[in-house]
Amino acid sequence: MSGAAPARRIVGPFNRVEGDLEVHLDLDRGRIASARVNAPLFRGFETMLDGKPPSDALVLAPRICGICSVAQSQATAKALAAAMGLAIPDNGRRAFHLLLGAENAADHLVHFHLFFMPDFTHAAYAGRPWHGRALQRFQPGAGQALVAAARLRARFFQVMGILAGKWPHSLALQPGGSSKPVDRGERSRLRALVAEFRAHVEEHLFTAPLEAFADLADRSDLARFAARHAGGDAALFLTIAADLGLAELGRAPGPALSYGAYAEAEGALLPAGLWDGKAVRPLDLAGLVEDPAHAWMAGAALHPGQGETRPDLAKPQAYSWCKAPRLNGQPVEVGALARQLIAGHPLIRALWADRGSNVESRVVARLLEIARLVPALERWAAELEPDRPFCHPAVPIETAQGVGLVEAARGGLGHWLTVEDGRIARYQIIAPTTWNFSPRDGAGMPGPLEQALVGVPVGNDEATPIAVQHVVRSFDPCMVCTVH
Amino acid sequence: MHQDPISTLEAKLGVSRRSFLQFCTALAATMGLPKGADAQIAQALAGAAKRPSVIWLHFQECTGCTESLLRAEHPTLEKLILEIISLDYHESLFAAAGHQAEAARKAAMEANKGKYVLVVEGAIPTKDGGIYCKIGGHTAMELTKECAADAAAIIAIGSCASWGGMPSTPPNPTGAAGVNAIVKDKPVVTIPGCPPNPYNFLATVAHFLTFGKLPAIDEKGRPLFAYSRLIHENCERRAHFDAGRFANEFGDEGHRKGYCLYKLGCKGPETYANCPSILFGDVGSGSWPVGTGHPCVGCTEQGIGFAKPIHALADLKNTYPPASYPRIVEDQGQGLSFGSAALVAGIAGAAAGAGAMLARNLGRKDDESDKA
Repeated sequence: MSGAAPARRIVGPFNRVEGDLEVHLDLDRGRIASARVNAPLFRGFETMLDGKPPSDALVLAPRICGICSVAQSQATAKALAAAMGLAIPDNGRRAFHLLLGAENAADHLVHFHLFFMPDFTHAAYAGRPWHGRALQRFQPGAGQALVAAARLRARFFQVMGILAGKWPHSLALQPGGSSKPVDRGERSRLRALVAEFRAHVEEHLFTAPLEAFADLADRSDLARFAARHAGGDAALFLTIAADLGLAELGRAPGPALSYGAYAEAEGALLPAGLWDGKAVRPLDLAGLVEDPAHAWMAGAALHPGQGETRPDLAKPQAYSWCKAPRLNGQPVEVGALARQLIAGHPLIRALWADRGSNVESRVVARLLEIARLVPALERWAAELEPDRPFCHPAVPIETAQGVGLVEAARGGLGHWLTVEDGRIARYQIIAPTTWNFSPRDGAGMPGPLEQALVGVPVGNDEATPIAVQHVVRSFDPCMVCTVH
Repeated sequence: MHQDPISTLEAKLGVSRRSFLQFCTALAATMGLPKGADAQIAQALAGAAKRPSVIWLHFQECTGCTESLLRAEHPTLEKLILEIISLDYHESLFAAAGHQAEAARKAAMEANKGKYVLVVEGAIPTKDGGIYCKIGGHTAMELTKECAADAAAIIAIGSCASWGGMPSTPPNPTGAAGVNAIVKDKPVVTIPGCPPNPYNFLATVAHFLTFGKLPAIDEKGRPLFAYSRLIHENCERRAHFDAGRFANEFGDEGHRKGYCLYKLGCKGPETYANCPSILFGDVGSGSWPVGTGHPCVGCTEQGIGFAKPIHALADLKNTYPPASYPRIVEDQGQGLSFGSAALVAGIAGAAAGAGAMLARNLGRKDDESDKA
């Protein structure tokens, strides 16, 4: 190909993302002119759920993903609970929050240490002043911070063992609550495990109390924090981000949505809403469709409550197994950034006002979420009441509909369930990465990652451009969830 | 000059001799090996001159198997596995991306031809030419055949790679199958479970490293040490089954008291696995599905897991309470308890028949009440 013609490049398979991913890039003068994201794995969960007894959804649907397994279980349980008109006891709610919060905090920890930061140990950065420290802390398989984080997670996930038996694919989450009652000894162990997690991230990640990070209100606060706590890995990231201009990289225009998470009597820790770029609006899902225009799927753009999943291998314009979710015709970004924006956290609002959604703000939002989640986990563990019920019995359902909306680590996850004559008549799932890594829709509008990749620099000799890897990983994709 | 290999490992990995030996003992115990085998395993793992090369392929999967391995402690996987074996290709953990990763896989296969261990995670779609799972432009079928050709040993980790697992749930939209449906000319060791217990996998690898061969397997490729006993045989709630004490609903009195989950559809009586013996998550007693109040779903058993409805009663393959059990006074339900039934029947010299009859009645009674 001559130098003047637009060059094409296929990047994939990707490592250190969950599942299989390919990105097709059109290049123009050293920059990405357009990108097409392909999720090359299809399993057909929605088809398998058709016709099964509703309670089987609790066994089948969560197996979409071994990473956000608790989030998938809770979405299923909530969809069934909604169909049954069932409320869960306070202990069940606390157990749900503990499980989801622990999974999300640990996912953010793993994403930062094992998936995202190791990219900065790349030889391309050998001349940078921070490169030696990045190698020491994040070299794959050997970096101190990376190894310590993997060990911390293994230890912290004893929370899952105590509350849910095995993980992933825990079965304890039921429509009526948790099948596992917690006794006093177990409550003490849970509190100790959360305390250990706090101690570790305060010592190594933040080198500061969590509250000091959670209280940051704007960019100058963030810079001061990085200077004052320079020994921490969060500060190392902020130094790298400033040096490489990560706030300019991988910008996505929004909007962003959150289904809301951790509901309690006095309101949710993270409320639901739609961020339109300037303000939070109430979230109305009436205008939600999944558009299969560029997916190997037959049919029209439909609301997931009426949606269908029929593979069509012969579609010429298709390039992914992923249908494109659109809200009121727009692609929407989901994740920790969306949650904290909608929750009104001043630091994230300030970063958005500055340069919107970008590699830096997406990573900062995850770190912030760790800092905000741990104190909540401490509280939920302390509030468990061993002598009170954890689960209400389920109610048989003949004909009903239910929606289960959950905030997984990577963003909003929805399960739409229809039961007819005691059997599942329709089950549709939209996962966080389905939003973020969606292909184009019928109007040709690219998905959030496809937009974020436009303009990203690509070196001539880069087979797998490093900047592309930063952008892709800043979304923390989970490809197995994307298509299911 | 002779340096003790465990001391070398101790220095290299930063794991204490004590925790390393504990780990080896746990593996030996998982496999039910005789006394002394733990020392053999320790010597083999610590003293391996060259780390065996492992190629780890991901297909139609959820990464749950890798995730559960990452949770294994004493010592953690990233220390032990990454040091003791040479993981030359693994998508989630590997540092490189794209063509580099592909090249690493090919180079490792060439350099270790006939000697590497192939691990497959995830099912292999066979319908429509295998189009439902492609990595680097190759189908899962092509990659499996290519990597299996020169492998010294093949391990299918998880139910998906073992027989198709979750993605093969009827109507099996992608024709998902296990490794042994693709690789016919070599034995494939299967470690089913969703996810499988990490110690069953690690013990299989340790066996290969220690004794130079894979452990004894059954006709489905499952290591006998892990899959020769029914869950029901070692279940901590077995006494409640024998005594006729059952939970009827999640959250009811029987459920809160930790009674047997048979009537909630527990598949323990027809599922072969060592879950109740070795547990999950390194947190001690009760950390497995039945321990947390949820019936076993039979995830290790083809035809049961993901195929049989969760509320359907298990077929009892084994109905006799141990003769040594004392008579237990029933405090819930109706009729004769299992323990007392067996006792009475035992006196009459027909324990087997009575036990089986009672078990059938249990099932039938439930079926009838469902219809009512």
